[in-house]
Amino acid sequence: MARTVEKLPALAREPRRRLPRDIPRFLLLCVLAMIFLTPIYWMISTSLKPESDTIAQPVQWIPARPTLENYREILASPDGNILRWTWNSVVMAFGYTFVSVTLCVLAAYPLARMRFWGREAWFWFVLSSMMVPGIVTLIPLYIMMIQLNWIDTYHALIWPGVAQAFGVFMLRQFFLGIPRELEEAARMDGANSLQVLRHVILPLSVPALVTLGVFSFMASWNNYVWPLFVVHGDMQTLPVGITLFSSRYVTDYGKLMAGTAIAALPVLVAYLFAQRYLVQGIALTGMKD
Amino acid sequence: MSARTAQERPQRKGSIFALNESNPLVPYLFLLPHAIFFFIFTVYPVGYGIWISTHRWDPLAPTQPYVGLEFYRNLFDPSTPQSQFFWRTLLNTLFFTAVSVPLLIAVALGLALLLHRPIVGRAFFRAVFFMPGILSVAVMGILWKWMFENQSGLVNIIASEYLGLPRLPYLTTEWLAWVPIVVGTVWWTVGFNMTLYLAALGNIPQALFEAAELDGAGSWARFRHITLPLLAPTTLFVAVTTVLASLQLFGQSLIITGGGPTRTTQSVIMYITEEAFSNNQFSSATAMSFVFGLVMLVFTVLQFRIMARDMQGGMR
Repeated sequence: MARTVEKLPALAREPRRRLPRDIPRFLLLCVLAMIFLTPIYWMISTSLKPESDTIAQPVQWIPARPTLENYREILASPDGNILRWTWNSVVMAFGYTFVSVTLCVLAAYPLARMRFWGREAWFWFVLSSMMVPGIVTLIPLYIMMIQLNWIDTYHALIWPGVAQAFGVFMLRQFFLGIPRELEEAARMDGANSLQVLRHVILPLSVPALVTLGVFSFMASWNNYVWPLFVVHGDMQTLPVGITLFSSRYVTDYGKLMAGTAIAALPVLVAYLFAQRYLVQGIALTGMKD
Repeated sequence: MSARTAQERPQRKGSIFALNESNPLVPYLFLLPHAIFFFIFTVYPVGYGIWISTHRWDPLAPTQPYVGLEFYRNLFDPSTPQSQFFWRTLLNTLFFTAVSVPLLIAVALGLALLLHRPIVGRAFFRAVFFMPGILSVAVMGILWKWMFENQSGLVNIIASEYLGLPRLPYLTTEWLAWVPIVVGTVWWTVGFNMTLYLAALGNIPQALFEAAELDGAGSWARFRHITLPLLAPTTLFVAVTTVLASLQLFGQSLIITGGGPTRTTQSVIMYITEEAFSNNQFSSATAMSFVFGLVMLVFTVLQFRIMARDMQGGMR
């Protein structure tokens, strides 16, 4: 909610320390945090156990005989090349993010800064496309992929979603907040529009660009429905690939959890670094994809 | 200044691709790359979808005959399997929405209230509650399928070893199969809503609470009469976006239960994709997706209006 959220939760406001009163609240938060972390912990714990120990009773919270065998086997699995799927996801997510952010920057700038015929109409037209649920265009897009011969190619993974409306909306709002004076000074010096965008607007928009970049990357990396249908075999992406494992290794939870951990851990590590931008981005825009 | 005058006027300074102020085509040049992809992959598919749903689209047939509204009529004719399964899976989806949305609002608000005032490790807790949301639905689904596994899932182990409760075959029992889907979804997405609530709580002037405290208002009274009303716009936004997300239930059901047992947890999007990609009934599935899109439109319009309202406010 762009209007109501001008600042993030005020960390500065702290009237007085009320430690004793805070203890129950703190303990409750600890319990909740443990519950939230349990599935992740259980995934890692299971992935480090030999097959027989995964269903051992009584329950083994800590693997009694820790082993990396599951990881070794899943990486060499004849049922699917998990490294290739990871590479596909990397290509898709970076390709999509780069193209999409570039297109959104170029489109948002004139919508925020220039006067031209049809500006408002075009902005609302693009924005209203956010009202079309993904399922409505899924099948027509799939058929277009067949006709373009794009099934099982990176083209199918990257291009169809790049012209997002949300990115245009978000960047336009951000550009509107940049003082015009800065731009006018550059124009006096003879800079053209592209130079103004490149040398004045973009350096001031780094937080918005990073937020949009992180959002786009995550949306693409985690996308499930689209890759599930348009790519197969070695062209699959990591999330789709590991669900394949879940039907192959129905009872072998050690291997399945090793595969799931390989998909989850890089994202979790990246989260430790990008967390700030994500939380800010959600608070500032009030949007989730 | 219209595009037409721009084209009629002789090029004063260099080519029409010159990126200076005097070239009235400049804004359109900036818009063009986005617009091309927008037309091809967003606008055109909607129109193409209408065409597909009114023809019998068969990838192998040489012609795609026009059938009018046949596929739409099928959905309202109780004798067709399409209408039977479409409405049934739509009801499943609405059931899921009715159960998960109140949870996703209440738990998010509860977490936000717990974290709103400063406390040791606050940033850590916020990061933990938000973290599941960054995972792919695939990871989340596999994790919760394992957590609720009929025999050796952790939930059943804790129930039987620590609480002396019977093990329940969650994944294969009607109604019970919703438990892992709903619990997993709450775990997965509650952090988004919590973040929105935290931001909104940060904007409530502390003076209001202090004044109320001086007037002798207890903490419940302050929550009831200050916090809740001031959070109402946020709650509306959270509710609408969460309803929209819940109506699009797909991966959770597909991965955790496969839609079973006997389609009881199959969502409408799952059924639409089954009709298209398993039964090769692309036209019928497209018709369904348009009908479902209309059902969702009620909420998307609402979301759009809230966003537009906020944007107008932000511009001033």
